[in-house]
Amino acid sequence: MIAQATGFQVTDELRDTMRQWRTRFAVFGAVGVLATVAGLFLVSPNQFYRSWLWSYLFVVGLAAGSLAWLMVQYLTGGAWGVIIRRPAEAAARTLPLVLLLFIPIFIGIRNLYPWSHSDLVRADEFLRHKQPYLNVPFFTIRALIYLGGWCFLSWFFNRWSAIEDREGGQTPRRKMGALAGPGLIFFGLAVTFMATDWVLSIDPRWYSTMYGLLMIAGQALSSMAFLIAVIVFLAAHKPMVDVVTPRHLHDLGKLMFALVMLWAYFSFSQFLIIWAGNLPEEIPWYLVRLHGGWQWVGLAIVIGHFALPFALLLSRDLKRNFKLLRNIALFVLLMRVVDIYWEVAPDFLKGSFGLSWMDFTAVLGLVGIWLAYFLRQLEKRPLLPLHDPHLSEALEHGRE
Amino acid sequence: MSEQGIYGVMAEFDNPSALVSAARAARAKGYRKLDAYSPFPIEELTDALHLHKNKLPLIVLAGGVIGGLTGFFLQYWIAVIYFPINIAGRPLNSWPSFIIITFELTILFASLSAVLGMMALCGLPMPYHPVFNVPRFSAASRNRFFLCIEAADPLFDPAQTSQFLGTLEPTEVSEVAH
Amino acid sequence: MADDQQIVVEKPAPGEIIAPGYTFSTITDQISSVVLTRKTPLFWFAAFGFGGSLLMLFLLAVTVLLAKGVGIWGIRTPVMWGFAITNFVWWIGIGHAGTLISAILLLLNQSWRNSINRFAEAMTLFAVACAGMFPLLHMGRPWLFYWMMPYPNTMGIEPQFRSPLVWDVFAVSTYATVSLLFWFVGLMPDLGTLRDRTKNPIGRAIYGILAMGWRGSARHWSVYETATLLLAGLATPLVLSVHTVVSFDFTIAIVPGWHSTFFPPYFVAGAIYSGFAMVLALAIPLRSVYGLQGLITDKHLDNCGKIMLATGWIVAYAYMLELFGAWYGGNTYEQAAFWHRMTGPYAIQYWSLVACNIVAPQFLWFKRVRSSPVLLFIASIVVLVGMWLERFMIIVSSLAQDFLPSSWGIFQATRWDWATYLGTIGLFLFLFFLFVRALPMISIFEVRTLLPQAKVSKEGKR
Repeated sequence: MIAQATGFQVTDELRDTMRQWRTRFAVFGAVGVLATVAGLFLVSPNQFYRSWLWSYLFVVGLAAGSLAWLMVQYLTGGAWGVIIRRPAEAAARTLPLVLLLFIPIFIGIRNLYPWSHSDLVRADEFLRHKQPYLNVPFFTIRALIYLGGWCFLSWFFNRWSAIEDREGGQTPRRKMGALAGPGLIFFGLAVTFMATDWVLSIDPRWYSTMYGLLMIAGQALSSMAFLIAVIVFLAAHKPMVDVVTPRHLHDLGKLMFALVMLWAYFSFSQFLIIWAGNLPEEIPWYLVRLHGGWQWVGLAIVIGHFALPFALLLSRDLKRNFKLLRNIALFVLLMRVVDIYWEVAPDFLKGSFGLSWMDFTAVLGLVGIWLAYFLRQLEKRPLLPLHDPHLSEALEHGRE
Repeated sequence: MSEQGIYGVMAEFDNPSALVSAARAARAKGYRKLDAYSPFPIEELTDALHLHKNKLPLIVLAGGVIGGLTGFFLQYWIAVIYFPINIAGRPLNSWPSFIIITFELTILFASLSAVLGMMALCGLPMPYHPVFNVPRFSAASRNRFFLCIEAADPLFDPAQTSQFLGTLEPTEVSEVAH
Repeated sequence: MADDQQIVVEKPAPGEIIAPGYTFSTITDQISSVVLTRKTPLFWFAAFGFGGSLLMLFLLAVTVLLAKGVGIWGIRTPVMWGFAITNFVWWIGIGHAGTLISAILLLLNQSWRNSINRFAEAMTLFAVACAGMFPLLHMGRPWLFYWMMPYPNTMGIEPQFRSPLVWDVFAVSTYATVSLLFWFVGLMPDLGTLRDRTKNPIGRAIYGILAMGWRGSARHWSVYETATLLLAGLATPLVLSVHTVVSFDFTIAIVPGWHSTFFPPYFVAGAIYSGFAMVLALAIPLRSVYGLQGLITDKHLDNCGKIMLATGWIVAYAYMLELFGAWYGGNTYEQAAFWHRMTGPYAIQYWSLVACNIVAPQFLWFKRVRSSPVLLFIASIVVLVGMWLERFMIIVSSLAQDFLPSSWGIFQATRWDWATYLGTIGLFLFLFFLFVRALPMISIFEVRTLLPQAKVSKEGKR
């Protein structure tokens, strides 16, 4: 195959396209972030930190979720994993940037989390009970553990992947396989506690054991939809135009479909259990989110985050259609943004629906900067792992 | 148009590739009433015999929709109209609670449609079929592959068709009695 | 192709699933001979006899139960669920691995499942049958079971659809029906093989009727494959829903230790965990008795071991989060419930389940353990015990010590509790070995597709 001879390097033509996109994203991102920072001084610090927090959660999902997919494919193998490996590696390499983007949240702890105010803690029995866990130093240490741990994993996987590209052989692969299992366990625990720290502790009275799993499913869905969009983008250009077949997309589409269902399953189970239990410490979370305008957002999520993609992805032909599948993936990403907003914002805006212009600038800004950095990482390495043991299987996949 | 009371002519092959090429050759020759028999599913045969997409997914979808509607309205009717009763202050139409049974009946009806639909589309159960009159045919469920051109085909002629099948390198060609 | 050659059991080549040297006919002969021609091994009589004896014990226990009432069990206020519901949840969970192997792994194109799906599906069916016994018997008047169904009646009562116990009726009966259908549809081509292979006229009549005239036509195969994929697509969410509904039996109630939102996936993971343990516990003896190591290879055992390790970690995650959630959630009763589990009258059971379900499976990280059938067999028995203890712990300890200390009470199992439980193990073994004797325990036609010869060569493709 022609592409194989060139080592699946990013071609000049593709590099030019990627650079164009990168410039656009960077400009968008810079404008968005600057506008949001302007809002910090012009509108209100609270609004700045809130907008930053939920937008940041979306970006974390893309980067950390891709890292998780990387580890999953090392454990399971299969053609789908080879195809997404390089984009997922590139997304994992953005984790140091994600770590830096956490700084505003660290600065804004007192604007975001009631447990950081000692007068409130003294007055509230529940907050006193949770103080050994919810306090500023431990919160910061935990955040560093999650983000640092992910950076650490990403660094190892990328390093061994580079060695595999250069030298081949079984050793790097074996190391990656051995780290992937413990890595996934770390990922699961980190996301669970991250969800508790960054999201749930905004309303420290509420807790749901499902929430961590919901966050894991959400991140996996965001990153899979993102990787599908990237693969379809790459498939329009050399060298990947010769590689990606409808069968590859079909496999990835099936994974996205499964995650749409898994997310809905987690969400509905949590809702039904809390609705049926109707306990005073649990039900307020849903009461806030199902009144004062938020219920329409909730309805939009039920339809857009579950019913619509579910019905569409049932079709086999659609999963094999590059453009349509990409459009669904982008729509799912949009709904992920809506869902995160619906989960985070109502705690700040108790009572009625609200949306600030800074919410738009923050999410566009963070996503723009992140995408520009992602594309910078993506062009650095060949678009397929040259010595992956499943490479030939992946190249043959769907073209027998 | 069946002649001399035979069902058709059958050729036996010892590997799937030969069967698939034979099926293609027979199609190319113009035969339309033909069927292949194999001990396991062969994807390429569907293409070689031009078997169209079957209607099973539609049947299953219909079954699922009917099941879902049955499930929900069964509960709605009992809980709201026929036997309204206040349970712990929950609304009569407790739709979140009704989703489970709605879902289960969707799956139940869809699965029953899948199995019954499959039987119907295959014409099973079928107590008698002429291909079993060929003594060697019992190997079709073991290690042999058969192609049968049926007498109902307009181009069918016992001698010519047998001769044609003989050119496809079969291990044996035999007539299938009715 | 040399027919009927001697099979040498070797390790499969890399990338292949079954051992080299097999042909379409040797696969057919080796699997069908277990049913048709080979002398029934002594092991079969021993296992079947053992299962049969326990089944007699079950019948005795049920007879006494019907004569005297459920009071012969240890169920007393406040622990009214006792062994019956523990065993129900445990058995249902074991069934889940069968559906997982036959449906989910099919959707994921994991063709290694082809040599274990048949008996795993049979395992599902029989496990569900055992599970169904308990709620039926626990009702006290099993002959009135149809009262649970909505039907026009003169009593002026209808099921209460907000109750998870009614959901259970629908979920479990749907699951039993769909599992039976899936299993039977999967058997049809192999029943055709047995019909064509048997020399016994009665056998031919029976297999022939069951095969329904299957003749392996290309038209049939094409519809059949669609049907299998659709059934797999339906069975996958179904299997998740069943243990989810079982978990709702607990979570919808607000009893401390039960009302936790992540119970649904936690129960499903536990179900798959114990199910794979049961698959291994059955496959390891069977393959060595019938010499099937070439079809159910070490790779299969290795994969099952890995799945056990993964689901074991989900269960471990659940235990950890349960404790964290109880503390962080700040509900006094929740905290007390978990404190009682760890230090109260059931502390021995609690720490044994931690040892069985969390500590012991960590040995599965090592390839050496996963490639030793004996160690894997031991690990699966340990996990089966651990998962039973987990069900017992959740049900009994939460009921024994809930809100009011004045109404606490300790559960004591009676010999009839044990007799009924062991009796269903007998029922399971009895049915399972009957299946092994009468039907092909490995899917013949699906294993044929694993052969390199089954691939159509280039010129056949175009």
